[in-house]
Amino acid sequence: MITLYPKRLFKAPLDAQCITPDIFAEKPVSKIAELQIWEGNQKRTLDQLFKIEYNAKNQSEEMTIRILGDVRKARRIGAKMSTGKIIIDGDTGMHLGEEMQGGTIVVAGSAGSWTGCMMKKGIIQIKGDAGDYIGAAYRGSTRGMNGGEIVIQGNAGNEVGCFMRNGLIRIDGNVGQFVGIHMRNGTIIVQGNSEGRTGAQMSGGKIVVCGHTPSILPTFTVDSIKSKVKVNGEIVKGPFYKFVGDLAEDGNGKLFVSQIQNPHLKFYEKYLE
Amino acid sequence: MPVVSHVTCPVCGSFCDDIEVIVKNNVITDVRNACAVGAAKFLDYANHRNAKPLVRKNGELVEASWDEAVRKSAEILIDATYPLLYGWSSTSCEAIRVGLELAEEVGGVIDNTSTICHGPSILSIQDVGIASCTLGQLRHRADLIFYWGCNPWSAHPRHVERYTTFSNGRFQKSTWRAHVSRLGGILSKKRLRRAINLVLGRDVFATPEISRELPYNMFQKKRKMVVVDVRKTHSAEAADYFLQVEPNKDYELLQAFRMLIADEELDVDHVAGVPVETLNEIADVMIGCKLGVIFFGLGLTMTEGKIRNIDAAISLVRDLNQRTKFLIMPMRGHFNVAGANVVFTWQTGYPFAVDFSQGYPQYNPGETSVIDILCREEADAGLVIASDPVAHFPKKAAQNLVKNPLIVIDPQTTPTSLMADVVFPSTFVGIETEGTAYRMDHVPLPLKKIVEPPSNCLSDVEILQRILHEVRRIRSKRK
Amino acid sequence: MTQLIVKNGFVYDPLNRIDGEKMDLAINDGKIVGKVDEKKAKVIDASGMIVMPGGVDIHCHIAGAEVNTGRLLRPEDHFRDVEAKTAITRSGVGYSIPSTFTTGYRYARMGYTTIMNPSMPPLEARHTHEELNDTPMVDKASYPLLGDWWFVLEDLRDGMIKECAAHVAWIMVATKGYAIKIVNPGGLEAWGFGQNVRNIDDTVPRFNITPKEIIRGLCKVNKLLHMPHTIHVHTNNLGKAGNYATALDTMKCVENLASDDKPVIHITHCQFSAYKGSNWRTLRSGAEEIAKYVNHHRHVTLDLGQVVFTDTTTMTADGPFQYGLYQLTGNKWVNHDVETETSSGIVPFRYRRKSYVHATQWSIGLELGLLVEDPWRIYLTTDHPNAAPFITYPRIISWLMSRNARDITMKRINKRARHKSLLPSIEREYSFYEIAIVTRAGQAKSLSLTQKGHLGIGADADIAIYNINPELVDPSRKYKAVRKAFENSAYTIKNGEIVAKDGKIVKSVRGKTFWVNPQLSSPIEVADDMKRRFREYWTVEYENYSIPESFLAASAPISVKAEV
Repeated sequence: MITLYPKRLFKAPLDAQCITPDIFAEKPVSKIAELQIWEGNQKRTLDQLFKIEYNAKNQSEEMTIRILGDVRKARRIGAKMSTGKIIIDGDTGMHLGEEMQGGTIVVAGSAGSWTGCMMKKGIIQIKGDAGDYIGAAYRGSTRGMNGGEIVIQGNAGNEVGCFMRNGLIRIDGNVGQFVGIHMRNGTIIVQGNSEGRTGAQMSGGKIVVCGHTPSILPTFTVDSIKSKVKVNGEIVKGPFYKFVGDLAEDGNGKLFVSQIQNPHLKFYEKYLE
Repeated sequence: MPVVSHVTCPVCGSFCDDIEVIVKNNVITDVRNACAVGAAKFLDYANHRNAKPLVRKNGELVEASWDEAVRKSAEILIDATYPLLYGWSSTSCEAIRVGLELAEEVGGVIDNTSTICHGPSILSIQDVGIASCTLGQLRHRADLIFYWGCNPWSAHPRHVERYTTFSNGRFQKSTWRAHVSRLGGILSKKRLRRAINLVLGRDVFATPEISRELPYNMFQKKRKMVVVDVRKTHSAEAADYFLQVEPNKDYELLQAFRMLIADEELDVDHVAGVPVETLNEIADVMIGCKLGVIFFGLGLTMTEGKIRNIDAAISLVRDLNQRTKFLIMPMRGHFNVAGANVVFTWQTGYPFAVDFSQGYPQYNPGETSVIDILCREEADAGLVIASDPVAHFPKKAAQNLVKNPLIVIDPQTTPTSLMADVVFPSTFVGIETEGTAYRMDHVPLPLKKIVEPPSNCLSDVEILQRILHEVRRIRSKRK
Repeated sequence: MTQLIVKNGFVYDPLNRIDGEKMDLAINDGKIVGKVDEKKAKVIDASGMIVMPGGVDIHCHIAGAEVNTGRLLRPEDHFRDVEAKTAITRSGVGYSIPSTFTTGYRYARMGYTTIMNPSMPPLEARHTHEELNDTPMVDKASYPLLGDWWFVLEDLRDGMIKECAAHVAWIMVATKGYAIKIVNPGGLEAWGFGQNVRNIDDTVPRFNITPKEIIRGLCKVNKLLHMPHTIHVHTNNLGKAGNYATALDTMKCVENLASDDKPVIHITHCQFSAYKGSNWRTLRSGAEEIAKYVNHHRHVTLDLGQVVFTDTTTMTADGPFQYGLYQLTGNKWVNHDVETETSSGIVPFRYRRKSYVHATQWSIGLELGLLVEDPWRIYLTTDHPNAAPFITYPRIISWLMSRNARDITMKRINKRARHKSLLPSIEREYSFYEIAIVTRAGQAKSLSLTQKGHLGIGADADIAIYNINPELVDPSRKYKAVRKAFENSAYTIKNGEIVAKDGKIVKSVRGKTFWVNPQLSSPIEVADDMKRRFREYWTVEYENYSIPESFLAASAPISVKAEV
């Protein structure tokens, strides 16, 4: 295991895409210290910014990187990683686990926007909150998250799962607007409340909202009431209104919204008789 | 008296180029053809000028030599880890080119004012594209004109007269006369209502109910103008139909239109406070037109939903092309904000929010856009040109901007220049300096020099070049 | 000015009929000269290397409104392909629509020194020239789009050929253009109301003229003005199954305007106009028919528009075609109509090996390249970035030079396309001499750029040196070595200066902008008439439309004496 301690509080953004188990695993400790990292427009080495502690307990153990401290300014930690584990005991910055292909990231604090963007495989777990565009695509691209799992135990911002193609996003807290915008496939489950416009312009996939949502987009049509929904093999108890949309995109996405938490949607029931 | 003709007006995105300016002894005495906003700029530009370079010493801005101000600026930029270079939309493309080179040289983030106006439009163009045109195409052909979340009557005063409803094109004629006669009818109706209210002792200030019904001229074959807004603006009064919507519900409305033009049915009775029957009628008008256009403003880009409002609007227009010809265009604000996007894009690949910190352009608004950077307190120096962020940015962003060393290049004294550490007095491009700028539809036009600038002012291009040169000189010396 | 000697290279200079001869080149003051003082000159040892004139690209979309909107549209195209700044070069991004500086550097690294930007909306010409000013390393020029300009439509409809010539002459000067570009003639005007024309005899709505009359009229105008290039035509029905017939009709309709064996029409990115069949399912190659016609008629030149399997961005002035492409792919779509003149569209596109249509398109391009016998009349292009980005040229060179290279790719493409392809029946392999023709000499000749495309005394010293030994390497077998050599020149010399070496830019130079200045013999007063009609047609003032010569960073006007 390698433990990194930030030597100071950072102001300018750090491009920390070198902090991945894949890169660390192929280098001796001395070379890890020399890894290049950008702080704003300054080229630095990893050991200029972090105290690096090497702990060779168990050679058979998978490569684990532990970061102790506040790395809110550090972006792209775990980018493209395919194996091993990153544990962050604090807050972290944007693009955590960008284009991730495997392995695990666990964050004890909060994460920034674009967490797990374009990821293909692996698991990201955030114990605190996360920002906007979780599991999204890069600007202009339609290739969002394509596999793997993101779990946010706190709240998330807007546009969770933007252009998502596959995989699972689980939010235990509340979310902002436009969950699953332009989503093609995959699953998003929100235990808390949604601020609305859920599933906007989705063409496929499944979204489950267990809490309150102010309204359903007019481009969704009510399909039925389901007593339960299956998410990734697990049963989530309802009852749920099941909507289908986004019809403006000729979409066939499924949107499940708790019936009990949303009495103001009762008028849709007249279409179900 | 000397008249300078065919002058372009360096104010709004309509960028009218038929202005006549009368000059006497290097002073502009009169302006013809311009709107009130344009005329005011030509006649009053000389007030509140920055006259000399200023440098802050012991907390006070004091006069300094050009060399000193340039050296101080270069040092600020060289010593910064994450400098911001912001503004650009009210200067020439020539200045923006030098600005980009400077940003690249110092490894900074360069952003233009689209970041606080049509940035969301650009982001949604990157997601779904855009079907647009030059303004003359609409003058000649458009028979259905939507102004959505914008108020050209006040913000782009000659837009309607030069490019749309009240302009004469090859295939479509101006509806100005019909409008004037209708105006008479509306006025007399208003007077009548007022008189009745007085007689009956009703509350005269109560806003009248808005009729949702489409008037007969919406079904005629001639040119029609529709305004969509949350309140009845001057533009709405000039329109053939005013569609009043609930605030922040544009997204739902646009998406509903997309359903209706695809002949789908809605499960709801009202969208954005408008009955679905009315929407259906409007959808029929959209499909039935020869060439329709939607102009949209900050009422769409900067209200709830932001980029997704535009996403839906562009998608609606795209869908409408299955049935007829339909186009869409953002109502750009500053006369060269489109040019700022254009120059940024050809040099870096990206239209705004470009981060050069690693030696090449990186782009991700939200991450590399100036307001977000300031709110996260990541920057440690700033250069502001032809813009006044202290007056316009959110409080937190403005506070963090002035905390850092700040360089301001501006012809006039502004709240931002008062907070700066270095102030450069620049000339007014389009009045005192030549250049190039882009109209809102990306048509490039020349900016003219009409009068001589004050002796102590330099053009933006020269100031930026001097700073760039000084940065390179100091860098090579330090090496 | 430095003097240079390029020593001992194998020189391929087809315009001077030099075919791989080992010889030295002397350079002084930016020109090829007979001799320089060996003691003073810098010597480049080119032994074991190929020496060619600098590459000339007759058709690549590299600057202007349309290209730039393509850049804006596609951040996802750029973010993985970046170039950081160096002490010499500016930074930028690629891939299919590189930023201006990067465009210049990448061409220079491939040994190209002159490139033609083929689609300039006249109203937005100022934009094109601003970008060309920021495109370093290469000489360049632009073709204004004139096939749907209202003045042209009205003049030709009314049979006023001389007035039309005068109007075209005016716009060449006003926009600083180089050649007459015609795109889907009549179709773009129709697209103003969402319509199109179906063939060259269809009537253009509201104008009572046919595409054939536009093509023939502008072809006559082109001759009257003695323009250096022919009319440059993107045919009607481009990108539609069955359109080879339209392409043939287009070539035939100007047959009787030709004289003295000189070309009068250039059909650009011909691959996109060489489809048989009635829909995408039944698409087949029309390359044989087109090649047969071209082999028997000397009035036509072509360029390939060769498809390479990659992700790219399609952009043309052909608005209705781009809309069709959007409907086909569902990808994001940009449309930009330009008042009284033209239109344009952009759609990102991925050419996939496994797609029947895309694989067939790939095959058609190469078939054309190999079946047209005279290399002087067919040029290597990808219609950058429509069929592929220009950085794929070395790969296309290897396909043209090696049957093996074609076979290897052939094995990996769609099976049905493979079975229908004509390529297996074609033995032909290009020689280095022929490659020099289709990548520089032929293109320079077609453009009448007399200083370019050759290494004779007096020519511009634009030279590309590639590290490959034609005596030792059999390009048919070692096609990978060929490709590698053409990807990065050993040396690129521009105007007598070494600007790139082993794939690195060592000096940044500006490059000129050519434009044609037709001298009318009997001054026909178009200016007054235009001024009168100007405000009716455009939304800008007459005085603000023309671009002053000083706007061009390095203006290089070419005066031609017109017959009118």
